[in-house]
Amino acid sequence: MEKTKSPEESRKLLDKITFDLTRSIVKRDELTRFWYFILVMFAAVGLWGWFIQIRDGLGVTGMRDYVSWGMYIANFVFFVAVSLIGFLISSSLQLLKISWSKPISRVAEQIAIAAVALAGIIIVMDMGRPDRFLNVFLHGRFASPIIWDVTVVTTYLTISVLLYYIPLIPDLALLRDRGGDDIPKWKMQLYKILALGWKGNDKQYKLVAHSMRVLMILILPVGLSIHTVTSWLFAATLRSGWDTTIFGPYFVAGAFVAGAAAVVILMFAYRVRYRLGEYFEDLHFDYMGKLLVFVCLVYLYFNINEFWVPAYKMKTAEGIHLRTLFTGSYAPMFWSAQMLGLILPILLMLFRFFRKPLPLTIISVFVLIASWLKRYIIVVPTLEHPFLPVQNVPDYFKHYSPTSIEIMITIFSFMAALLIITVLAKMFPVITIWEYAEEKGIDKEILAEPKK
Amino acid sequence: MKIKLLFVALVFLAQQGMAQEWLVPEDQKNIENPSEYNLANVKKGKDLYLLNCKSCHGDPGKNNGLPLIPPPPDVSSDIMQANSEGELFYKITHGRGGMPQFETTISDDDRWRLVNYIRNYSPDTEPLLVEEPPKKAKVLASVNEAERIVEVFAEYQNKDSVYVALAETPISIGAQKAFGTLPIGEVLTNKEGRAEYAIPESLIGDEQGMVTLVVDLGEGFITEDVVLDASKVGQPKPTPVLIKEEILWSTNENIQTWLLLSYLAAVLGAWGTIGYVVFQIFKISRAGKEE
Ligand code: HEC
Repeated sequence: MEKTKSPEESRKLLDKITFDLTRSIVKRDELTRFWYFILVMFAAVGLWGWFIQIRDGLGVTGMRDYVSWGMYIANFVFFVAVSLIGFLISSSLQLLKISWSKPISRVAEQIAIAAVALAGIIIVMDMGRPDRFLNVFLHGRFASPIIWDVTVVTTYLTISVLLYYIPLIPDLALLRDRGGDDIPKWKMQLYKILALGWKGNDKQYKLVAHSMRVLMILILPVGLSIHTVTSWLFAATLRSGWDTTIFGPYFVAGAFVAGAAAVVILMFAYRVRYRLGEYFEDLHFDYMGKLLVFVCLVYLYFNINEFWVPAYKMKTAEGIHLRTLFTGSYAPMFWSAQMLGLILPILLMLFRFFRKPLPLTIISVFVLIASWLKRYIIVVPTLEHPFLPVQNVPDYFKHYSPTSIEIMITIFSFMAALLIITVLAKMFPVITIWEYAEEKGIDKEILAEPKK
Repeated sequence: MKIKLLFVALVFLAQQGMAQEWLVPEDQKNIENPSEYNLANVKKGKDLYLLNCKSCHGDPGKNNGLPLIPPPPDVSSDIMQANSEGELFYKITHGRGGMPQFETTISDDDRWRLVNYIRNYSPDTEPLLVEEPPKKAKVLASVNEAERIVEVFAEYQNKDSVYVALAETPISIGAQKAFGTLPIGEVLTNKEGRAEYAIPESLIGDEQGMVTLVVDLGEGFITEDVVLDASKVGQPKPTPVLIKEEILWSTNENIQTWLLLSYLAAVLGAWGTIGYVVFQIFKISRAGKEE
């Protein structure tokens, strides 16, 4: 934290910070409209696909009796994974008082909210009868990991929203009091309501700090649970490839990889689009790069355990599964995910050059795509080798490949996630202004001052 | 070349289809049957036949054997009767193809008795088993649950069309099961045509131990089987618990207690804390109204 500045200096600086950080809210140009157009259009196409699926049933997907989890579930696991970054950056790093991560925390929280919301929606989209969704709660079995998963996803979503909202309250008040004339009226109205009559007194700041602390601690077990339980959906079965004890930490480690990559990409987008180079500095990218290398190495370690040990033993059923991954039909996907999405990024990111914003972002894109493929490899191949002999069934029951409807709906999920992030960025500052100002040595008194 | 191949194939097929001659070593052919051709031996042979051979060879004279290739010949057929007694014995002893060997399962004496039985249908021998025309009969039966006995009274219609007690006749007792009647025992009637069958302790009934007993006079009589009302004379059937408690992905009734408790504790803990934080938000709002 910098030294407290004089009131004059503080006011000037605060004006600049507010100006910069509300640029995303104010900015409305052709590009924004175009971006919205693209998102809404693709999302609409996906919804159309979903309509067809509801009308004609799950038969329009590539899923059949044996492979009953396909691209949807792989995508679901991917989104749950990405959402876990909120847990890492907005909680763990903050609790450890790692100050460089402060400006990134809201970015991480945006991603967490969007991803976990979509994870929930994807599950509903994977259901043949989504109208029966409530039955999960009414008649759910408590011994079923699916119930745990539904529970933990909703819990995590709630906590993420709170963790996003509570530090936003002072910012909302700031916008309410000092917002420029170029902010649309309805947004100002909304800020006023959501700011809950924030005055900025000590008591309120204390309450915010206290709530944040409680949430950050609460999200530790819940965050760990969300992905551990998701891994138990697989590990709580006896199928080869899923029947392993390290799935929990394996998934968590993989989640950090996916999430950190997503944060880097979003940071870069904000930096370029809203000219926030002074806020998302090269230093942040450097640190994020180091963080990414670290989580990638942890993930690599788990990968080695997950494949090396069973590949050494080659138990009959496990062996069939592993051979399809190593040398069989999934080998291209498997090896490109491992090489381009894990090993090569680790090697590159060890060099300072590749931790600069642009190279790091490009690497992150590869890492993110690879981690999506990784979930696909976890979900589908195992189901293609059931323990029971597969007899007298049509050939297309034995292999899975997604249909265009599934791809449409999956694209919908990406677009919808981006839409949530975009709306959040367009509505609220992407960095916590008051925290940032405090960090720069601006007194709280100044923050509470109304606009001249 | 092609024609040659075709010819070979045809010969091969023909060999498969036609029964090949079954050669019996010369010294075995003319062994004399040590078992005398009398009613007792033929009857014994008949019992053995019903037990071991009928399933393939069918009823004598009816040509209703199993459709195997080559087919098991009817006992009264020329193929069967063309065999000398030594040949029959040899073939039963060693078997061939679809015909199993009985060297290890039926004793020498009994195999000779089977030969006696087969000979009963030879045109050259006097048949000893004369099938009488079946007689009309009536059977009355009841179960005594307390003493665990089945009481039977049987009558048959004699030549003068009068019903008289059926004496010294085996009556078979069975229990009705899902796929037919399971024979459980036999009793002989006494001079008055009465019999008492003691139900074995080990008899297993349904879940409540109820058994439906069937009383049957067997071949040679025209009656309807007597199917008694279900009575509580058996051991209750042990019902395996199909759904085990506390297993993978089980129902709520069968859930592991520790699992339910940890789930509920986690949910309550998390949502309790969330509720607490939401309460803090109210407090933030209230703190703004102060001063
Ligand atoms: C699994 C079915 C099966 C059973 C049980 C069976 N047979 Fe056969 N039997 C055959 C078949 C098939 C043949 C014809 C074999 C052949 O010609 O290669 C045959 C042939 C014979 C022949 C030789 C007929 C001939 O071609 O000269 C005799 C004798 C015979 N069986 C007696 C018996 C007796 C006695 C029993 C009971 C102890 C018996 N079989 C049980 C299937 C059976």
